[in-house]
Amino acid sequence: MSETMEAITTYLAPRRLDEALQAMADGDATVFCGGTDLAPQTESGARPYKSRLLNINRIEGLGGIAADGGEIRIGATTTVAEIRRSAALAEIAPVLVEAAEHFASEQIRNAASLGGNLCNASPAGDMSPPLLVLGASVELACWRDGAAHTRRVPLEQFFVGPGKSVKRPEELLTAVVFARPAPGFVGRFRKSGPRPALEISTVSVALGARVADGRLSEVRVAMGSVAPTPLRARHVEAALEGQPLDATTIAAAVAAAAEDAQPIDDVRASAWYRSHLVKVFVEEVLDDVRGN
Amino acid sequence: MMSVETEIRFTLNGRPVSLKVPATMKTLAMLRDRLGMTGTKYACGEGECGACTIEIDGKTVNSCLMYAVDCDGREVVTIEGLRTPEGLHPVQQAFVDHGAVQCGFCMPGMIMQARNLLANNPELTREQAQRGLEGNLCRCTGYTKVLDAVEAVAGKNTCGRATP
Amino acid sequence: MEKTANPTTKQTLIGTRVKKPDAPDKATGKTRYINDMVLPQMLIGKVLFAGRPHARIVRIDTTAAQALPGVHAVLTGQDATGLKFGFSRDNVALKDKVRCEHDEIAAVAAETEEIALRALALIEVEYEDLPGVFTPEAGAREDAPLIHDNFPGNKSLHFEFEHGDLAEAEAASDIIVDNVFRPHHVTHCCMGTSCAIADFDHNGKLTIWTQTQYPYNYKMDLAPALGINPGDIRVIQPPVGGAFGSKLDVYPYEPIAALLAKKTGRPVKVIYSREEEFKASPTRQAAIIHMRTGCTRDGVLTFRSADVLLDNGAYTSWGPTIPVIMMRTVSGHYRVPVVDFKAQAIYTNNPYAGSFRGYGNVQTTWATAQQMDMLADLVDMDPLAFHLKNAQRSGEVTPQKSFLRECALVECLEAAASASDYSRKRTEYAALRDAPGRYKKGIGLASSVHNAGGAKIHKSDGIGTILKMDDYARVTVITGASEIGQGIDAVITLIVAEELGVPLEHVTIVNNDSDVAPWDVGVHASRTTFIAGNGTRRAAQKAKAQILNAAERMLGEPTETLDLRGGQVVFERDGTPLIQLERLLRQMHFKAEPELVMVTDYYEPKSEPEGARHISDHSAAYSHAVHIAEITVDTLTGEITVDKVTAAQDVGRVINRMGLEGQVEGGLAIGLGYALSENMQIDKGMLKNACFRDYKLITAPEMPPLDLHFIESNCAEGPYGAKGISELPTIVIAPAIANALYNATGVRIFNPPMSPETVARAIHERRAQTNAGKVATPAEGLAV
Repeated sequence: MSETMEAITTYLAPRRLDEALQAMADGDATVFCGGTDLAPQTESGARPYKSRLLNINRIEGLGGIAADGGEIRIGATTTVAEIRRSAALAEIAPVLVEAAEHFASEQIRNAASLGGNLCNASPAGDMSPPLLVLGASVELACWRDGAAHTRRVPLEQFFVGPGKSVKRPEELLTAVVFARPAPGFVGRFRKSGPRPALEISTVSVALGARVADGRLSEVRVAMGSVAPTPLRARHVEAALEGQPLDATTIAAAVAAAAEDAQPIDDVRASAWYRSHLVKVFVEEVLDDVRGN
Repeated sequence: MMSVETEIRFTLNGRPVSLKVPATMKTLAMLRDRLGMTGTKYACGEGECGACTIEIDGKTVNSCLMYAVDCDGREVVTIEGLRTPEGLHPVQQAFVDHGAVQCGFCMPGMIMQARNLLANNPELTREQAQRGLEGNLCRCTGYTKVLDAVEAVAGKNTCGRATP
Repeated sequence: MEKTANPTTKQTLIGTRVKKPDAPDKATGKTRYINDMVLPQMLIGKVLFAGRPHARIVRIDTTAAQALPGVHAVLTGQDATGLKFGFSRDNVALKDKVRCEHDEIAAVAAETEEIALRALALIEVEYEDLPGVFTPEAGAREDAPLIHDNFPGNKSLHFEFEHGDLAEAEAASDIIVDNVFRPHHVTHCCMGTSCAIADFDHNGKLTIWTQTQYPYNYKMDLAPALGINPGDIRVIQPPVGGAFGSKLDVYPYEPIAALLAKKTGRPVKVIYSREEEFKASPTRQAAIIHMRTGCTRDGVLTFRSADVLLDNGAYTSWGPTIPVIMMRTVSGHYRVPVVDFKAQAIYTNNPYAGSFRGYGNVQTTWATAQQMDMLADLVDMDPLAFHLKNAQRSGEVTPQKSFLRECALVECLEAAASASDYSRKRTEYAALRDAPGRYKKGIGLASSVHNAGGAKIHKSDGIGTILKMDDYARVTVITGASEIGQGIDAVITLIVAEELGVPLEHVTIVNNDSDVAPWDVGVHASRTTFIAGNGTRRAAQKAKAQILNAAERMLGEPTETLDLRGGQVVFERDGTPLIQLERLLRQMHFKAEPELVMVTDYYEPKSEPEGARHISDHSAAYSHAVHIAEITVDTLTGEITVDKVTAAQDVGRVINRMGLEGQVEGGLAIGLGYALSENMQIDKGMLKNACFRDYKLITAPEMPPLDLHFIESNCAEGPYGAKGISELPTIVIAPAIANALYNATGVRIFNPPMSPETVARAIHERRAQTNAGKVATPAEGLAV
């Protein structure tokens, strides 16, 4: 229990985004939504509280999935459970629903928000690889010069290290957006572990691409837990882009996976096993696309 | 030097409650230490075991992770809220009848989660129950009798919303 | 006249399904566990752990902590000087030197947990780190740093047992398998974390509310840690969130609570967080087992030898005593004519082990059951046939003189093999082992033997029982038998109802206060149904005799014609009711020469003390179990899915079927975790995964379907024929899976757990070897 914990002087649960952004403007606010990451991190002392505790759960319009137009928009406070149950997302972006399916437990999914999962910036964050292959961006809002300002950051530029993102202390992640996948888009997600969920992934791999005439294009491949941040696997993508999806291409992509993944040894797995699994999963998702 | 306290009002097992809580207090601590509701258990404090499962606005959460201030204005149901004037809730009774309770420490959380699963899906299959209970650890039973109990209730449609 | 009632035919409760009497309160959250208890004036105690494996304490300053408002006491090693406790008197509640990561350096009692934690942060400690010892091999080296000054060579306990001429037996062997197995560190993970509440009265008597599993010897073990007389300790056992062997000894938080209570004059509660629980509670004993087993070409075992090195950890609790059971398995798991067993425990700066369900036998069977499988393979026999050929029958005696009076090993083997179609599947899967395909199926058989009628490692393995009845025919059983979730409450209730013909709900059990209930050695060693079952039955039969004698005098009917059924005295032959039991009891109580029904019993099982030479019939019964695991292996990720477990176990006789199933299912789950996923990752004495996220228990979706077969061998000494059963399910499953993995893939894992990474690596290496043209000989068989 850290001394900083006692420094909380204000608790706020605003209903309007403006109020929240104003409360964050000096960068001295700790934001929570579900609390599923913040609570253990603060309890263990790994993360100090700032002087203001800001509950963003009550902000109107910050949650929900808008999937009508060409751009899909998922509000920051949307829970993982809502994503898992979303009929619209199951239709448009099943790869994201698949990742939600394998996310922690029902109790966590009911509380954990999409925005929180991304802001936690864990290399093992389950929602990151599918969003990376969907080409998602995040919206970051802040209060400056008496008004709210929003900038968009592509998700692949969002993460900068374990627990670190480009989001500034005064910014709030308000939404995740991605273009409606074009016809022919296929997505796949694969996460390690014998448990169906409740597992910090040892390795995760996501694939998103257009498939036409047996060839892949606009290929995006993302990996989790193989580097300090979730990453786009550029070498694998290059091995696949425009290529016929045959055994030779798949073998090349598997070989390229070793170039993209720079895993470490930790308590969950060795670097050897992670490198091995990445190859297995790349092959598996490609075989699966090829088989269908 | 305590962190700021906030007055919150919410419904606990159908009754209105209001109290002041520190901003960083979790719902589990509020229930146990402030309200004397010790049916909800601490076993990990990190959302990894489900022993502290409660229902909030009809959804189950780990109360050890939930900020107590976030209960404000919401409906909270704990294990103590399941019992009816007639006796045990059908899910509680099924757990007793099927031998699902050994040391019983994880059972309040397990039963809260099982009841919620059954309320949302009265036709719950054994496999669905296994998935739905993945966030509730039990060291005694091997889950087999827990699943027997859930299976016995499934289909009987006796698991309406817990909120009285 | 008695109110007419229908004749009551005798309907036995033995073998039926009886609910645990405490289940409704537990299911509703009403049960007040020790973790939930709050006493008036109670202070919260917190412990400062060293957080380093081996160090000298140069300076410790508690001034600031003591000055913090709300702090009532701060204790350090100085307050516990000379108060050594533990099996080898090598432990103390608060340390003056650091020997492991969780060594208790200081303790605080404060008004709230928050204040106590803040006080801990204000304690200044200066350490001088010392070179550490992190493996028993390193600890045994001549130049190894010394952990305890009075234990030269870091040598802790040593055990030996020899039987027959080893050299001769080796010479007579056609095949010898020779492997090193390294069973790992795991821990109990009780869902209710460790907790004790202590309070002294003004006569100097300590009341301690604790989770202990052995309330009577606990007094003897706790007293030296406090410098008081064991007789001045009262032990109260509130409901607990599991124990599994972890509370079979005194651990430092308990004397710490008492020392703080003594200092403050107020009740003090010490309770662990989950992280503290992982770091500071005992482990299962880790071991390095060099095992050799031989057999003839036609599959007859010739000898088994085991040279065991135990990682003692920093202090000696039950862990390093496991050789007492290990050697019984080495010498008694199948007919082994020649045995050579040695075990040496070496102090290290690692966490230390206690007892854990399956005590010693989990580790040993991991080795013996795999070597049985290897030998069968090398002599080209179906393992089932190999097992049957070497299986003991009723009446056989092992080299250590375990007398297998009623032995159902053959029946267990046959039942499990037949129910799972073992032999056919094994052949089929082995043939497909090197065929193309990512997913491989395997089936594996393993068995073991365990004490099933207590284990006389103390001078007494007995139990005291007091049974009384009130004027309303309600029965109270005051018993030493501890309830930790395993269900002795249901068993006692069932037996009383069976003997006295009263409804189950008319039985009350008082068993949680050492000032009230009589002696029992504790809930461990699969003993409680056997021992307390016998004690309860004997007490109930005495009460019944007293009642029927009174009935004879009052009704003029001979006792042998009478019985107790349905709350009445009835004619034994046809159940015709004669008088309501409660009415009879009142007549007994209020007549001219009044009598109350209150009987006592002391039951001591017919077993022999273990003895220094380990040649004794140390249990009143022995039992076998056979598990057959069917698995699917993902040969790329190394993930093992357990598709089904068929388990056959000699239970003697089923008493409470529901509780029996629950014990087998739960024991299996602990064994599955041991086999597949649980692993304390200890790096230079420091635990790296002190949380459920990274220490993986089996979860509901991973639990396979179970096919349970209870073989009833009718143990003459057991209550109604029953044997103790609760450890074997934990013991046998891991090697069954290991054998299935071999059947599926040709790889053998010697060092559990069979985690995905371990399995993937082994399969990967086998393929690399095969591709390189090397012949893989995973059994490491040695033709001689």
